[in-house]
Amino acid sequence: MKRKIYILIIFIFFSSFFRGEVFDFNHKVFAAGAATVQATIKITVCGNNIKETGEQCDGSDLGGATCSSRGFSGGTLSCGASCDFNTSACTSGGGGGGGGGGGDGGYVAPVTSVVFSGRAYPKSAVTLLKDAQIAATTIAGADANFQISISGLAGGNYIFSVYSEDNKGSRSSLLTFPVSVTSGATTNVSGIFVAPTIAVDKSEVKRGDNIAIFGQSVPGSEVTISVNSDEEFFNKIKADAGGAYLYNFDTSVLEIAQHFTKAKAALDGAISSFSKVISFSVGTKNITAIPEKTILKGDSNNDNRVNLVDFSIAAYWYKRSLSTAFKPIEIERLNGDGKIDLIDFSIMAFYWTG
Amino acid sequence: MDWVAASRNFQFFPPKRDPAKAVAIFKQIPMTKIQKFKIVLAACLLLFAAIPVFAAEISFDAKTRELKVNQLFEVGVFINTDGESINAVEGKIVFPEKLLKLKEIRDGNSIINFWIERPKVSNGEVLFSGITPGGFIDKQGLIFSIVFRARQAGRGSVEIREIKALLNDGKGTATNTTISNLELVISGLAPLETPSLTGPTAATPPPVVENKDIDLPETFEPMVASDSAIFDGKYFLVFATQDKGSGIGHYEVREKFWAGFVTAASPYLLQNQRLDKKIFVKAIDKSGNERVVMLPPQKPLPWYRHYAIFAILLVLIVVGFLLKKLWSRYFTKNREL
Repeated sequence: MKRKIYILIIFIFFSSFFRGEVFDFNHKVFAAGAATVQATIKITVCGNNIKETGEQCDGSDLGGATCSSRGFSGGTLSCGASCDFNTSACTSGGGGGGGGGGGDGGYVAPVTSVVFSGRAYPKSAVTLLKDAQIAATTIAGADANFQISISGLAGGNYIFSVYSEDNKGSRSSLLTFPVSVTSGATTNVSGIFVAPTIAVDKSEVKRGDNIAIFGQSVPGSEVTISVNSDEEFFNKIKADAGGAYLYNFDTSVLEIAQHFTKAKAALDGAISSFSKVISFSVGTKNITAIPEKTILKGDSNNDNRVNLVDFSIAAYWYKRSLSTAFKPIEIERLNGDGKIDLIDFSIMAFYWTG
Repeated sequence: MDWVAASRNFQFFPPKRDPAKAVAIFKQIPMTKIQKFKIVLAACLLLFAAIPVFAAEISFDAKTRELKVNQLFEVGVFINTDGESINAVEGKIVFPEKLLKLKEIRDGNSIINFWIERPKVSNGEVLFSGITPGGFIDKQGLIFSIVFRARQAGRGSVEIREIKALLNDGKGTATNTTISNLELVISGLAPLETPSLTGPTAATPPPVVENKDIDLPETFEPMVASDSAIFDGKYFLVFATQDKGSGIGHYEVREKFWAGFVTAASPYLLQNQRLDKKIFVKAIDKSGNERVVMLPPQKPLPWYRHYAIFAILLVLIVVGFLLKKLWSRYFTKNREL
């Protein structure tokens, strides 16, 4: 009898350990912890005298390279301000010319700057936030690649965030990363991969009918769409040359209830974080979804942005009894418990646009 | 049914969250009540052991400190988010006032972007509350640090209490938190400003680094807004910036050219509701470095409404007229002579 009990305990242990969160072979895609996608962002510092990935050299660290290894016959190889080789003092074969004049010896003050590069959506507006306030904006190229450079910073720890807007004006989720900026050096933050935008064509879909899940990402990227119910379904589709993707999901496998969907993209081994989560219901009729026009949550002053103004309005009511004018705003745009506390600020922080 | 045979009906990877099936099979197994109780108890224990528990940890940069009386030391308050994205934190640090005197709070390099309650001391407690829009995942994210001076010999602890850490999930879901306090042993008198020859150990703190901050606070853009929700719909000013060195000390605002700066906090109700004047906002860090930014008039007056111009013109005309009169009188007098 004891043996049987032990076997049952071992069974319960393994069945609980190998639950869906760890391994779930029912899914079409193997996912270790589907909720956490580790998007890799590379951070290198140009100016710290250490040659890092993506740099040809850094200050005195030439990585063992010489003029000879660069195809010259002699001379002195040096490192440029952008951490690439400066071969101006290298000499080629043939008769040696006269020595060049000395430099003017002028001192160039080191600039503290950060260069951000990555992928968003083709021709999309990319916004960079520095410590949650807008620091720069740019337009991504037709290939969705973008680069933003900011300077005039002090050395220290910063929280940078990037988001983009697709061709329909839909905003991506905020991609946030802490960066330690070195004074007098250029920090390169590369490999930023903005999450896809996502939308659905119906807010309620008749069970068995298709629901279109669509959005924009990097052209040619593989978009993985997750539809979450009791069981999580993963489906893959390739974004077209304009970065657009569309997947018609057959809802016959879903229960009549509310469901959620999100997407992530992958290209050349790089992977984005998950998009915003969009909800839809499976029911008995089809109801067309109203395109997202305004941000409701967190937007206290209804200007379609969540920024310092909204924070300040909420901060004004922090630990105070709410006025009759502010009560409906708190109910509609914050957590609706009739008071302003940390939870309301957390909601605001999630929907932040800067 | 024999329970071993029943157990064969279990799939190694059973359909997700189908406990009813397991309970049904479990009920078919002949057992005494005590045996069943033991099994349920053991299964519960194993279940808790198997499920990974995520918890953000708030801790200091050391667990114990051995100090001398009069010694200055810095304690960093850190958060390990345990792989989760956290966007809001609040809590309090409680310290024994008999043993320690708080000298300074440093929040210059904090992972918190906006303070709801900037860390400040009150009755042996440091309250803090703040957010990081977009959230952060960090194993050792600095919230702020406190510089103490040891007052007298004794034993005590600096404690973290009432901690809340909220997930960046759009709902403000609270995550589990664990804390790790700091135990202190204070003895003898510290030698006067003599550097330690052996260097800091795990228990002896490193010397407090003097904050030689010469950088100005970061540049920023104040904004004028109005909303029926506050100040009866009147115009107000919002502003915030960072200082990576010593941290922001306070802000000052000047609305009129002739007026001086007044200490202000955001949101700030503007005195000049016409918005026809420049507004100057000064951010001053804890080392005294100042950055002043100017906000141009939001509703500038047309040139002909600038009464100062007319006043100056009038004064010039009057002065010119008087000078002319004086000159002609002087000239007439000289001719008579």
